[in-house]
Amino acid sequence: MSYSLATLWYERQRYLPGVLAVGFSCLLIALQCGLLLGLFSITSIPIDESGADIWIGHPEVPSVDLGRPIPDKWMSFLAQPEVEIIEPFMEGFGYWVKPTGGMELVLIIGSQLGPGAIGPVRQLTAEHRTLLSEEMSVVVDEGEFGRLGITKIGATAEVIGRQVRVVGTVRGLKSLAGPYLFCSLHTAKQLLRPPADQVTFILGKCYKKEDAQKVVDRLQAYPHKISAFTSDGFSLRSRLHWLLKTKAGIALGLAAALGLLVGAVVTYQTLYAATAASLKEYAVLRALGIPRWRMALTVLAQSFWVGLFGICLAVPFILILATVGNDAGAKVLLPWWLWTGAITVTMTTALVSGLLALRSLRLVEPATLLR
Amino acid sequence: MATADRYNTCFVDLQTHPKGLSMYNDGNGVIPTLRAWGLTKTFGAGDVMTTALRDVSIELYPGQLSLLMGPSGSGKSTLLAALSGLLRPDSGRVLCLEHDIWALSEKQREHFRLKHCGFIFQGYNLFPALTARQQLEMVLRWSGISGWREARQRTDAILDLLGLSKKAKLRPNQLSGGEKQRVAIGRALIKEPSFCFADEPTAALDWKHGEQVIELLRAAAHDGGATILVVAHDSRLIPHVDRVFHLEDGVLVEGIERPLSLVAGDTAVAAEY
Repeated sequence: MSYSLATLWYERQRYLPGVLAVGFSCLLIALQCGLLLGLFSITSIPIDESGADIWIGHPEVPSVDLGRPIPDKWMSFLAQPEVEIIEPFMEGFGYWVKPTGGMELVLIIGSQLGPGAIGPVRQLTAEHRTLLSEEMSVVVDEGEFGRLGITKIGATAEVIGRQVRVVGTVRGLKSLAGPYLFCSLHTAKQLLRPPADQVTFILGKCYKKEDAQKVVDRLQAYPHKISAFTSDGFSLRSRLHWLLKTKAGIALGLAAALGLLVGAVVTYQTLYAATAASLKEYAVLRALGIPRWRMALTVLAQSFWVGLFGICLAVPFILILATVGNDAGAKVLLPWWLWTGAITVTMTTALVSGLLALRSLRLVEPATLLR
Repeated sequence: MATADRYNTCFVDLQTHPKGLSMYNDGNGVIPTLRAWGLTKTFGAGDVMTTALRDVSIELYPGQLSLLMGPSGSGKSTLLAALSGLLRPDSGRVLCLEHDIWALSEKQREHFRLKHCGFIFQGYNLFPALTARQQLEMVLRWSGISGWREARQRTDAILDLLGLSKKAKLRPNQLSGGEKQRVAIGRALIKEPSFCFADEPTAALDWKHGEQVIELLRAAAHDGGATILVVAHDSRLIPHVDRVFHLEDGVLVEGIERPLSLVAGDTAVAAEY
């Protein structure tokens, strides 16, 4: 066992505050980012839950829910050898007049409904699609009944001056801004009334999903002003747009920085105090001619172990709290890159704290041991 | 020849002789490994200025255990620090082997200490988390003197010599004061240094353990050929050492070359004397 690890284990009570602070930082970063990712993943539900590999939209489209009308003849852009299916897609905001009074902003999402259609969300069953083929019928998330002022399937309400009827419900598709109304392309056009021959997006599905990027690259090189994305790229763009527009990213950054600062300060203090407590022992080694960098390496090694133990301590708590959060209805996403980022940032913080704590080694003076 | 003249002559010899101190011979065929002269050290300034060393000169020889005595505040520890390269004197020179210690750079002096010096302090100053074996191994491994395997072998050998084989896996809080000081001695001697400087190594021990410690140091000098200087004010140590120096008010007032026959237990040498 290394001397630094032996010291850390033997004096674990001394190092515990540092380990806890590092663990807390890691937990804070991972859970906050996970919560925010989960929150903003709602904005990209129409992309993530569809079967499309490629999305074409207005050149300045910032996110999926802020699509602007584009000519449906742009469908010809997707006439590429790699593309199997091409479909139009309608989407736009409208006001839902609640039967109980008041209005609610809703996001109308209209797509083709055939058996091989790529526009509808996966949660729409064959039965749903059959029911939606009826004009002015919509499907909503069952959790949105309260916001929509309805109590059961079959309820009707007015949307942009047209009467719609709820013909079914899905689960897990609650929205951030306004409830999603899933409907047919025809119904969406009836409600949103776009200019003639205009749609909001054009979707494509490749024979092989991995060809999507190649097609998108080709489309972006065209002289025409269009926006082409892979589904993953458009999903990320939509999430980032809302993350930045709502200033939630800044709040996240500040909260994470605060957590890191607390972790760094406590770890620094812990390591500084621990090193200062061993100044006489280090002074003997200095008298014996042991170079200062050997001691510095030990302090840095201790900061590494503090970081590692803190992270190991945090991981199970992150998993437990994420599970509890998901069970409670909050969406916590923890992709691998978030784990990597949180662990890297936390470990870096611990090592920087170790570097700062090296200042204490300047106090090592062998002559002070002589009385 | 007066002492001062002798040092002056020596100084000239050292400056002119191409091989330096190693060629110096005091006439009896014994070459001093450490020579210092004109050492002066003051602390503070103005009314509160204290002179710790006043023109101190000293010679130490290999294979000898020397005892530096004097009342508290006499400058013993300051002299030890100046001789060992830990505290720069205001003036004077210290020659250890072929090196003018205070003419070396900080890094060179550090390297010299690494290669040639061992230290024992009154406080044991052992890392509380490490076992007796680790305290010694650490010195060898961190100084780059030996790899892991050799460090373990040398450590076990010296622990055996110190009678601590069965305590190798114990931490300082599981050792008695005498055992802790023996570990500290092991830490100082494990590099097999040319010099060992000990500051009050027996002060915190009862006489039984103090006697053990001084005997270990004497063995290191006589058997290992090290030059050992012990600072202490316990006169019971006198029969166990080869030479005794007295320091008072910063002045080395007396340098006693004690007959070897008085060295406790050294009957063969005593008979020869």
